[in-house]
Amino acid sequence: MKMSTILYVEDNPLDVDLTMEAFKEKKIANQVVVANDGVEAIEYLKQEGRFKDRKSGNPGLILLDLKMPRMDGLEFLAIIKNDAQFKRIPVIMLTSSREEKDLIRGYDLGVNAYVVKPVDFLSLTEIVRQIEGFWAIINEVPSEG
Amino acid sequence: MNDIFYKQTQDDLKKNEEKADRAAELSVANKKLAFQNEEKDKRAAELAVANKELAFQNEEKDKRAAELAVANKELAFQNEEKDKRAAELAAANKELVIKKERIKELNDQLENSVKERTAQLEHANKELEAVSYSISHDLKAPLRHITGYNSLLEKKYKDLLPAEGRQYIDNISSATKNMAELIDGLLQFSKINRIEMKKDLLNMNQIVDMLTWPIKEGDIDNRIEFSIEALPLAYGDLEMMTSVWSNLIENAIKFTKNKNLVKIIIGAEENENTIIYYIKDNGAGFDMNYASKIFTMFQRLHSQKDFEGTGIGLATVQRLITRHGGKIWAESKVGEGASFYFSLIKTEG
Repeated sequence: MKMSTILYVEDNPLDVDLTMEAFKEKKIANQVVVANDGVEAIEYLKQEGRFKDRKSGNPGLILLDLKMPRMDGLEFLAIIKNDAQFKRIPVIMLTSSREEKDLIRGYDLGVNAYVVKPVDFLSLTEIVRQIEGFWAIINEVPSEG
Repeated sequence: MNDIFYKQTQDDLKKNEEKADRAAELSVANKKLAFQNEEKDKRAAELAVANKELAFQNEEKDKRAAELAVANKELAFQNEEKDKRAAELAAANKELVIKKERIKELNDQLENSVKERTAQLEHANKELEAVSYSISHDLKAPLRHITGYNSLLEKKYKDLLPAEGRQYIDNISSATKNMAELIDGLLQFSKINRIEMKKDLLNMNQIVDMLTWPIKEGDIDNRIEFSIEALPLAYGDLEMMTSVWSNLIENAIKFTKNKNLVKIIIGAEENENTIIYYIKDNGAGFDMNYASKIFTMFQRLHSQKDFEGTGIGLATVQRLITRHGGKIWAESKVGEGASFYFSLIKTEG
């Protein structure tokens, strides 16, 4: 099974750090690339800016935070879901609460799943485990052609 | 001679005859005269009567004329009055028009101020939503980081810490848990006014059974005894009413945690227009002097050490009941349990 990259779009370094810890804890070995906001995430996808020299190919999964500077999660979603090259990449939205209206907007824009950011670390590792389950399936997403 | 005599006699005779005739004629004429005189007298009498009548009629005419004069005067007075009234009416109409204009002005002002207030209210609601959003995002993030690193600290370095250090980790953990509950409670509370209410006829027994079932299941040593009476149906929002019962039942369980045998009675009384539901427990109870504080946000009548809590639950319940047009109140004696009552109107509106 090919281990594809996870693109993790998150501006808060502590959230990034804790999530990486949780990934480590659950022994998820995929490469995780962090983009600090929507603009950087687009740059990654298009191999621009600091990602100019990265190996080509789409990430297998995008973990997307909503509230970010410059370009937020929903703006980023609207762009990639309208781009034939990126629209099939599965996206998991990270939200702060289940009641957010952003959740509905996210689904309207074509999000595949969402997770509510947990307050405690145990729940975080549990969610990473769920993502891992999701991951096992999406690692086999058919490639174009 | 004889002839002469005869002739004389003849003449005399003729004269006598003529005389007689005249006499007769005179007599007739006299008779006629007498009759005519009689007639004259009659007419005179009649005339006298007629004159009298005329005089009387003249008198009447004068009387009528006098009456007419009085009536005319009266009429003139009445006309004057009419004119006066007409003038008064015109003035009153003018005043009415002015008053109408003023009322319209006031109505416009009222409408404007209602519009203004509504706009202010909408603005305040939007701000409240922004605050909720900010709470859920911005307050939760640092809390998530504290708990996250605290967990990592415990996981990775617990063994390196002395007992006191490990206690600190536990304290941080329970404090953050409390803060998380506070934030969720606040969000829940702020949500009440924003969400739309969908009223249906609710089966209260179903709601209560659904909420008490897991408690009964978890109560392995049969410490808790629920006595649930038949509850009348009521109009309400299912989600909100579930939240009401959930908070009240959780409350009863919380404040009976030190009892060896817990008794919780759930019932209702039906009045003409309202239904009063109640839940009674035999728990810690509270001092009735502070009864008014019990439904106030963040107000707690027990220490965190004795009974954990955020002081949001009952404030939320009160808000929910108020939105249903009902009332909530409580009765208690310290150490003898508490009774919570809430009323709901029977009609759909």
